Amino acid sequence: MTTTEMTQASLPNARIGLAWRIDGETVRRNARLILLPTLTAAAVIGLWEALVWIYQIPNALLPAPSAVALRVVDTLPFLAAHAVPTTLETIAGFLISLVLGIGLAVLICASRLAREALYPNVVFFQLIPKIALAPLFIVWLGIGSESRVTFSVFISFFPVVVATLTGLTAVDRDLLRLCRAVGATGSKIYLKVRFPTAVPYIFSGLKIAITFAMIGVIVGEFITAQSGLGYLILFAASQAEMSLIFASIALLCVIGLALYGLVVLAEIITLKRYGS
Amino acid sequence: MLEDAFKAITATSVRKVYDTVSGQVEAVAEASFEIARGEFVAILGPSGCGKSTLMLMIAGLELPTAGAITVEGATVSQPQTDAGMMFQDPTLLPWRNVLENVLFPVDMRGAVGSDARARAERLLQMVDLWTFRDKRPRELSGGMRQRVALARALINDPRILLMDEPFSALDAITRDEMGLALARIWDTEPKTAIFITHSIREAIFLSDRILVMGRRPSTIVEDLRVPFKRPRDPSVEAEPEFNDLYLYLKNSIHRTTPSVQ
Repeated sequence: MTTTEMTQASLPNARIGLAWRIDGETVRRNARLILLPTLTAAAVIGLWEALVWIYQIPNALLPAPSAVALRVVDTLPFLAAHAVPTTLETIAGFLISLVLGIGLAVLICASRLAREALYPNVVFFQLIPKIALAPLFIVWLGIGSESRVTFSVFISFFPVVVATLTGLTAVDRDLLRLCRAVGATGSKIYLKVRFPTAVPYIFSGLKIAITFAMIGVIVGEFITAQSGLGYLILFAASQAEMSLIFASIALLCVIGLALYGLVVLAEIITLKRYGS
Repeated sequence: MLEDAFKAITATSVRKVYDTVSGQVEAVAEASFEIARGEFVAILGPSGCGKSTLMLMIAGLELPTAGAITVEGATVSQPQTDAGMMFQDPTLLPWRNVLENVLFPVDMRGAVGSDARARAERLLQMVDLWTFRDKRPRELSGGMRQRVALARALINDPRILLMDEPFSALDAITRDEMGLALARIWDTEPKTAIFITHSIREAIFLSDRILVMGRRPSTIVEDLRVPFKRPRDPSVEAEPEFNDLYLYLKNSIHRTTPSVQ
């Protein structure tokens, strides 16, 4: 796109024009927002590096960040091979939570019987320290992906239910009256009023769910797995391979961040349509 | 008594009691009235006197505990699909633009055809918002949003128009402008209209007839005819009759409202 085309395209909509305009103030504010936390993190890592060197902390106790970075580079194909099942199981757990959570929220919202019978139990279920139940899933579902994905769903679907339900019921009472007064069917009200209203709420639930889904998979891998980054962390610990533990954790952080970023991206795209 | 053929809305000994956690609440004790076709009726009263409940019952969104309401001869037993509604809040959908919001009732009922689009254009021109048709509600002022809600209420060409304090969230100046706009639109599209308000001036300026509701018990305590001719302009407020009516209504509301202890 040439500059002229771009100017023309942004002419009819002043709001887009505003977004394109970059002034000194915006640059300074954005620089602050990005630079400040980055520099803080860099300072902490630098301090860590320095302390390891100054006090000559043995590698088996606490490896320096540089040693971890070196380890990541050296063993990248190996780490990546273990990252694949962890990532796939996290995504599977998240997607099932999404469908199950939204479905359950719709059921609870639409049916008074379901609301009264289910919702208190769903909330009560939430009070169980769920990690304590992880071994049960292994007993019931075996040591394959199924048990880890199921456990991941088990701990990540609740935020989706609560957030979706809050969104579905956040519709103005008078607006619902208006819908009834024009003879709208229940499904149309859901499709055109309740769901669009719930979109920002649903995404707040999904952002929690994606992190919980990963926690679920890693706990599952801790208990029983032959591969995956959780398994690798436990294995490395048994061998006192501290730099491998940290390398695995670093990779988990990157994957977690990337998955979270995807949810945020989906949110931005959806809110362009359904935001206010 | 009106001849049956001229009656748009009748209420016969209507009573409404809500069951709440803390017991029964009587929202409307007794209300009986007849509204002629094409009449603009204001229901005036203090807050909490059951005005809104009365409107919801006419719309068929609440059913009376006792008594009956008829609209165009038929007893109301389910939501009226032939009533345009306006509320205190515009209740627009924030993700739809002005035009899509006006077309919302058509969309909720079925497919949006070219007839509906033509009518939406006419209504938006009538409320001076056609040039804003692509804007989203957050880009509009409070008065503009309420004008969108008015156009939306009229989109299905309803036989009755029900308005529950539609201007009470607006500032005084915008409120006067909206009153004028509504009067002008009503002159071009006369409909049986019920306008709930607690502003006496608004009630006199807009309506053909004013029902005053009292509180505890909530019953209709006055039924007055407004003597001014249509079309009206703001100069009616300067007429001595306007002021007489204003003071009379003010006293009447004051008398029927138990003072706050």
